[in-house]
Amino acid sequence: MISEAFIPAVTSLGSLALILGIIIYFVSKKFYVAEDPMVTIINGILPGVNCGACAYPSCNQFAEELVRTKDTTMTCPVGGADLAAKLGESLGIEMAEPKPVTCAVICQGNSDNARASAEYVGIQDCWAAMQAFAGPKQCRHSCLGLGSCIAWCDFNAMRIENGLIVIDKDLCTGCGACVPACPTGVLVMQQKKAERIFIACNSHDRGADTKRACDAGCTACQKCVKVCPEEAIVIENFVARIIQEKCTACGKCLEVCPSKVNCIVLEKDMVKSTNAS
Amino acid sequence: MKTFTIGGIHPPESKLTASKAIEKMPVPSEIVVSMSQHLGKPAKPLVKVGEEVKKGQRIGEADGFISAHVHAGTSGKVKSVKSVPHPGGNYSLSVTITTDGEDAWAEGLNTAPIDWKGLSKESIIERIKDAGIVGMGGAGFPSSVKLSPPPDKTIDTIILNGAECEPFLTADHRVMVESAEEVIKGLEIITSLFQGKAKPFIGIEANKPDAIAAMKKAAKGTGIEIVTLETKYPQGAEKQLINAITGRTIEEGQLPFDKGCLVHNIGTAVAIYDAVSCNRPLVERVLTVSGMEISSARNIRAVIGTRFSDIAAFSGGISEKTNQVITGGPMMGRSQFTLEVPITKTTSGILFINNAGLESSRERTCIRCGKCIDACPQGLEPWLLGNEAQFRRLDEAELYGLANCTECGSCTFVCPSKRELVHWIKYAKALVNNRKQRKTA
Repeated sequence: MISEAFIPAVTSLGSLALILGIIIYFVSKKFYVAEDPMVTIINGILPGVNCGACAYPSCNQFAEELVRTKDTTMTCPVGGADLAAKLGESLGIEMAEPKPVTCAVICQGNSDNARASAEYVGIQDCWAAMQAFAGPKQCRHSCLGLGSCIAWCDFNAMRIENGLIVIDKDLCTGCGACVPACPTGVLVMQQKKAERIFIACNSHDRGADTKRACDAGCTACQKCVKVCPEEAIVIENFVARIIQEKCTACGKCLEVCPSKVNCIVLEKDMVKSTNAS
Repeated sequence: MKTFTIGGIHPPESKLTASKAIEKMPVPSEIVVSMSQHLGKPAKPLVKVGEEVKKGQRIGEADGFISAHVHAGTSGKVKSVKSVPHPGGNYSLSVTITTDGEDAWAEGLNTAPIDWKGLSKESIIERIKDAGIVGMGGAGFPSSVKLSPPPDKTIDTIILNGAECEPFLTADHRVMVESAEEVIKGLEIITSLFQGKAKPFIGIEANKPDAIAAMKKAAKGTGIEIVTLETKYPQGAEKQLINAITGRTIEEGQLPFDKGCLVHNIGTAVAIYDAVSCNRPLVERVLTVSGMEISSARNIRAVIGTRFSDIAAFSGGISEKTNQVITGGPMMGRSQFTLEVPITKTTSGILFINNAGLESSRERTCIRCGKCIDACPQGLEPWLLGNEAQFRRLDEAELYGLANCTECGSCTFVCPSKRELVHWIKYAKALVNNRKQRKTA
């Protein structure tokens, strides 16, 4: 009979399960790790992408640390001001206002602006192209346009367009994961503002060499430095740099830039995404 | 015939210039002397724009322990000191000199040969260091550093590398045939530094019978043993050469002196002889100009800093079909994008090639045939390293011996799927380096 064949199997496995269940029950009682329920709540608020922008390896560790120390200066760069407010509410403390950043590409060397030095036929990856005269573009400080950084972005904010990396400003959270992935260093994190002006050139070559290699290159002509009312522009290593803390986005520098394609870039509506939510 | 034990391949030899005597190339109107012609830190330039320099004058000072001095190849005026393309595949600070046509040596250099046997060990090494001599085979390790191994290491074998296993290249071959005496004297100087405790060898591949004969004749009565090696690539790679001649294996992370060996290039031996006996710095070298697209393939002796374009013009110009210019041999050399790059102390050849006849280099997937494993002279599994690199599994790549790869190109040569295995391995090495730098920073 079928039922007779089942009896030994059901009883032996059933009793085994019962015994193990009892052991597990006592073991879990014995080795119970007390966890602050607050950590679970904070964890629920955090974005949960484990990007590492806060300098903690995961969102969970950030939550644990925050609950333990109640340090008001701890910020999640991805969440921004809204998230800081929510965290403060849950913990009953006043969180510091985070200074949000987003990624800026300091290169405009797309296929129209930058001149090519050669055809590159090797492995289609920036780090591989770096071994062959810093890639196919004449300028060796430029975006190589092969997109090694894309794989590092957890937020799908990057794409290659016309041989140049483009950042979707609504999707970029400023986590900074892409910065070390770029061999030439054209990705930088800059303060997020309603209107942001920055110099989109990374060329440390002398002016004449830069001009020969790219239409959108900064030749360090100093015109923008002289016109800036806030003294927010400095020339460092043959390229201009805007100090974001001082810049008021008045736009005077945009008018004087003599480059064929302005090396100074104005980005608008930078804070749209956080205001909307 | 002796040979190394594992792996190796037999590419077509293509030694078009094996019987062509070395020709001296006149100094061009402008030379570009790179400050980075050796392994280690680039030299610090000592001259300014507009300054007059003499031939052999030191224009770059060694910066640090592993670095080498750089000298002007001819007399003239400094035109610029800036970063220009370097045949190593990058950009480096270089001094451009407009030549004055006099080719006048600086004072106290290029003297009549003296008897070096009267010199002390320290002064010989000092002279080699002052002359800026580096390994002329390719890597460019400063010779003075190589010749002063740590005191706890005993050197019992000195090998002169005359294998020249790369296809096309014949520079060392011609030097052995034409300047056998100087090669032997150079090796004697190197041997004398180890008080006769080390046995000198010269390893030559069997495809150069005239070089073997010339060296045997010159070495008579000197105690130098000429070893005939099987013609197989990469017979002239340092680790493989040591293995072929002594039977010893250099393990991962070891240097030749860990196994009591010291390997020098043929060109380096001649340069050492010139430096020690004539006080002549390393300002010129012998190289092969070859390939199917150059009018007259030849071996030339050119001033270091001569541009590729001048060399091409001297060799009768290149055909319109040229679409690839390679420094060094076809196996390990690098493609260049401009003929404005200069030759350096380590440029053993320039090849002008039309690669249209070759099969498409588009990579296909690995079919697990295992040919690369048979070919690898280091006993690695190149397909595996390539896969790990492709998917950025750097820890695994390091585990499977990434650092042990000598980038000889045997795996890429045999791969039926045309995988760029060496490029992937170099790529993984670049990422590993970057990761290390970020960790220390």
